[in-house]
Amino acid sequence: MTLAEPRVRPVIPAPVETLQAGLACVAEHGLAILPGVLAGQRLEEARAALYHAAAQDRARGREQKFALDYAADETNQRVWNLLSRDPVFADLAEHPTALAFVRASLGWPALLGNISANITGPGGGEMVLHADQIFVPEPWARDAQGLNVCWCLDDFTDETGATRIVPGSYRLNRAPRPDEAQVETVAVEAPAGSIVVLDSRVWHKTGNNRTSDRRRAGVFAWYTRPIYRQQENWFLSLDPSVRQFASDEMLTLLGWKTTGLGLVNGASPA
Amino acid sequence: MSGRKAKLKTDLKETGVAILPGVLTATEAADAVERLWAAAEGFRRMGGSTFMPQLDPNEANVRVFALLELDPLFRDLIRHPTALELVEAVLGEGWMISNFTANIARPGAQSMSLHSDQALVVPEPWLAPWSVNIIWCLTDVRAENGGTLYVPGSHRFERHADLPADAPAQLTPIVAPAGSIAVMDGRVWHTSGANITKDEDRALLFGYYSADFLRPQVNWNALLSAQTQGSLDPWMRARLGLDAAANVRMAGRLLGARPKSPASTQ
Repeated sequence: MTLAEPRVRPVIPAPVETLQAGLACVAEHGLAILPGVLAGQRLEEARAALYHAAAQDRARGREQKFALDYAADETNQRVWNLLSRDPVFADLAEHPTALAFVRASLGWPALLGNISANITGPGGGEMVLHADQIFVPEPWARDAQGLNVCWCLDDFTDETGATRIVPGSYRLNRAPRPDEAQVETVAVEAPAGSIVVLDSRVWHKTGNNRTSDRRRAGVFAWYTRPIYRQQENWFLSLDPSVRQFASDEMLTLLGWKTTGLGLVNGASPA
Repeated sequence: MSGRKAKLKTDLKETGVAILPGVLTATEAADAVERLWAAAEGFRRMGGSTFMPQLDPNEANVRVFALLELDPLFRDLIRHPTALELVEAVLGEGWMISNFTANIARPGAQSMSLHSDQALVVPEPWLAPWSVNIIWCLTDVRAENGGTLYVPGSHRFERHADLPADAPAQLTPIVAPAGSIAVMDGRVWHTSGANITKDEDRALLFGYYSADFLRPQVNWNALLSAQTQGSLDPWMRARLGLDAAANVRMAGRLLGARPKSPASTQ
């Protein structure tokens, strides 16, 4: 089954090197692929921190499943609340390139709704096709209400279960219907160190990992316009040292520095 | 549902506002006013200011935040069964407590600017109510003492362009005896009235409830003391968003579309 509309079937844009080209890709395709945003030691540090946290969770029986994942999966793994696991993840959440996309797509202030990892494992199943802003009742407003910045810590390939998208779906400005769950998707392939920026209206899912021995880790930083409730309750769950050492930008993303909503006695909590 | 409540829901649908008298007795309302003034004093002792220059032109409007922290009476009122029945008549099941504040208009208090609570934060189009105000009238409320002014039917405005140029001329006061609840759809365009009386305070409590995917106006984790949070039951904690279950709305709807197995989709 292919998607009936739009009639001219768009494609996945080629990877681009510059922020400006990336912003143009998001505007035109709803997504952008930028290789090499993390490289060398910084990539290794982030990857090591994530796999360490994942191993800890698995060894201690602390894994928590996600409602949109394939239910019987024993190989794929989610790691939640990454900000509290290692300072390197705060670096990703407030990376200037990521925030440039956030500012361009959502404006500022914006909120960090969540930052979590999705690691596929050998034989791992796919996810339910969805758009990230499905919690907003339709009809949706004209513009994207959120943005997902995926940090590829391993190579994302068709085989390893790269995120799969429905090209052009963001232009429909609605969630996929149940009868569209099996519509044709394309793997977003990107080498380790890339970011994949997804407009919140793009229909997507985790792909099947068809390898026998390779895991594929992605860190997903999810940002929204400041009117939406965050997925993670940072005031409950955040390691206090993250807040203590947070930049002003991070305090805004987390909700400590705010105007209008999320106030205490009519004023910003910090 | 009594005939009175059915009428109220019709009013709400047609004008965006409805009034239910007699939810509190005159004695209960008078007691609540006393406790509100005590809360205002308590709020000032906490270091808060009851004058909000960004909202009000002068100090004759007394604003009290932190009501839920300051007196258990207000923790009861925010979950009063009649109030919640009206909240759910507007928002359905998925709602949270967004804010609970008081606005006492003393003589000389002036109007805010015309606004819709929903339009202030939510992008167009506004096709459904995403928030609702439950206004507790602790004193008699009428045009002269600063009763809330609203544009009847303005909950049907879907875009800024729908707001007519003569909207201020259409403003109608909420008139209700002490002890009433006024329900106002979050899309209704309104403003506080001016209190032109010589010696009459007009005390209103605004219970504000919003759809559970929206960020509440108050960060209850940051506002409520550990002692107060510890005193709340699980229902109240959930409605205030104090716990780990955050914005997961609609995930459940997709479960029907869950893939059967990895093999079936290759």
